Amino acid sequence: MARTRRIDTGELLEAEAIRLAQQGDAAAFERLYRLHNRRVYSLCLRMVGNTAEAEDLTQEAFLQLFRKIATFRGESAFSTWLHRLAVNVVLMKLRKKSGNESSLEELTEPDEESGGPRRDFGGPDLRLSGSIDRVNLQRAVEQLPPGYKSVFVLHDVQGYEHNEIAEIMACSIGNSKSQLHKARMRLRELLHEALRAQAREDRKAASAETGGKD
Amino acid sequence: MATITCREFLSYLEPWMEGERPQDAQAHVRTCPNCSSVIKDLEMIHVEARSWSASERDAPERVWTALRAQLEQEGLIRETIPASVDRAQTAAPRAGWFAGLFPRLPRPVLAGAYLAALVAVAFALSGPVNKRVNEARWLKGTQTSTSPLSAQLNFAEQNSNSYVTRSNPVVAASLHQNLAIVDNYIALCEKSVSEEPQNEVARDYLYEAYQQKADLLTQMTERGENVQ
Amino acid sequence: MSSSHFVPAQWLPKSNWKTAGLLVPSLLLCSVVSAAPRRQEQHFKVAAHPVITIHNPNGLITVKAWTKSEVMVISTPASDRIEVDAEQMGNRVDVSTRELSDSVAPDDMRADFQINVPEDAELQIHNDAGNVSVANVLGDMNVETVAAGVDLEDAAGYLSVKTVGGSFTCIRCAGRIEASSISGNFRLLNLRSYHVWAQTSSGNILFNGEFLPNGTYSLKNYSGVIEVRFSPGDSFDLSATSLKGKVNNEAKLTPSPHQRHFMPRWGNALFGTFNEGRAKIEMTSFDGTINILKRD
Repeated sequence: MARTRRIDTGELLEAEAIRLAQQGDAAAFERLYRLHNRRVYSLCLRMVGNTAEAEDLTQEAFLQLFRKIATFRGESAFSTWLHRLAVNVVLMKLRKKSGNESSLEELTEPDEESGGPRRDFGGPDLRLSGSIDRVNLQRAVEQLPPGYKSVFVLHDVQGYEHNEIAEIMACSIGNSKSQLHKARMRLRELLHEALRAQAREDRKAASAETGGKD
Repeated sequence: MATITCREFLSYLEPWMEGERPQDAQAHVRTCPNCSSVIKDLEMIHVEARSWSASERDAPERVWTALRAQLEQEGLIRETIPASVDRAQTAAPRAGWFAGLFPRLPRPVLAGAYLAALVAVAFALSGPVNKRVNEARWLKGTQTSTSPLSAQLNFAEQNSNSYVTRSNPVVAASLHQNLAIVDNYIALCEKSVSEEPQNEVARDYLYEAYQQKADLLTQMTERGENVQ
Repeated sequence: MSSSHFVPAQWLPKSNWKTAGLLVPSLLLCSVVSAAPRRQEQHFKVAAHPVITIHNPNGLITVKAWTKSEVMVISTPASDRIEVDAEQMGNRVDVSTRELSDSVAPDDMRADFQINVPEDAELQIHNDAGNVSVANVLGDMNVETVAAGVDLEDAAGYLSVKTVGGSFTCIRCAGRIEASSISGNFRLLNLRSYHVWAQTSSGNILFNGEFLPNGTYSLKNYSGVIEVRFSPGDSFDLSATSLKGKVNNEAKLTPSPHQRHFMPRWGNALFGTFNEGRAKIEMTSFDGTINILKRD
């Protein structure tokens, strides 16, 4: 019977898998991959928005990890180290796409004036409740600049704390908090814009209907 | 308590979302529908995004397959041979050093050997084409590169046959029949290449026919291993 | 009944004959029933995009999509010398057939499956002989067989099919399709796929589907027939080469303005553009026949 050879790693603990992987053990590599591929793939998918690229980036992230695994000394959590690699792989890809070698700081949209929320704060109240669904928010996230997107995905989607994000993104905790806040505010603006656009479309459709009936 | 303005509340917004909620900010939120609305929006964005992690899924299996192949190619990993397979190998000694070695060599090692031979083929085929065509040199180059590969494949074929006879007769018959088809194509392609040594299409087909045979032999061996 | 108390049959009273008459067939029936196939049904609750893997040596595997967030596995092993294992790990369900003893006859190594999955499931199926049918599943798929045929209907995603001798039929599928075989025939009908790569050595390939703008369609064999059907409204850039066979064409092609194609020095070749040349079709054969025919 044709059967893919199954690697029985049993309950191989991560620490043991890392140790064995550092010696080149294939089963240990697979164990580490199985433990972490979901989060890495999800991160890549959220960042680039398509499965083909996300798969390539996931593969590249793990490849870099396994090339460097011998140098891992446990100074940080393994997952943090892996996610740092993954984020760097993604951001490198996005930088190449944008055609310039921007720094991480530059990969965020420069806000007006002090960098705080925009002028429409406190403006007409177009409530978002009921408009924030998965599709709308996903579209809005896709429009975020890479730096904002990274922090938002790591914190709000994947649940990393700011100290972990700071390590992953090689920035300060304060910077992580600031980027997250700006990301959320930007998302709010994008969702409002989408809501306004939809309202305009609805009004147009309604007036076309009544105009036709006259 | 002096109330703060919406503008002043802006500076409280970021720490507010991190859980820091001073009294004056709370008082403002209670009385200001706009600022209250902003906070609700941000909280909803956070909650909706958090729910996405529940639908996260593993990367497709092909990612691991490709990754593993890359790792093996770079020599970063080695196969762990389970103890049960090791015991079975010791309990049933096989005839000849190659037959004993063959089951221990998993697909990646075989693939590596074939790859090495194919690289030699590619090297021979990618040489500069001079204006004056020297067909004999092309033919000799191709034969020199492909004959070790051909010999290795034939040797592997002899060993895989004995395994397959123990598997499902329909499957065994199909494997043997298709092996004969591939052998026939190899012969046709080799003939074509010998008649027209610079025919790139024929050489591509020959290259692919070898790959097909290698793949087929690996499948035959895998089935034999599992049948025992 | 011990041997010391054995009584020859002709000495048994008539009532005992009646009992024996009922008992013996019952015993026979029991023995037949115990060897009969044991149908097993299992259900697994799953989240979105589950992965289902099936490893089976021989049998009919039918996979269909349904609206439940659940995987249902109905298995029917051919004998009691094999067993079907189905286990769930997270969002992954692994189904496999295994021998219960070392000496299982090849005819006993068979199990049939009827599996219902959510439509976004990802499938990985290994089935050497028998048949594999999948309908209405929209997740990625990887199917490998030796002699088993593969039938996909209304599937989408990244579809990868590999057989040795099994045929492959793909109807109304979308996404990306890659198929390879040595002697299997391919029928690719009513596809809406942007990428098709099909290679068989001695099998025939029939492609009768849409050529999407920017789609790539690569059909290759050693011998046999490769046939594509086109309509007047299609738009493609064509390259058709048969080293030793014929190329028959009914499409009015215009030569490529920028000479995108390298003219080979051997075999029969045909290059050109039909309408705007939006899709790309590549057909290659060693000594088979290539037909480019109008759709009926």
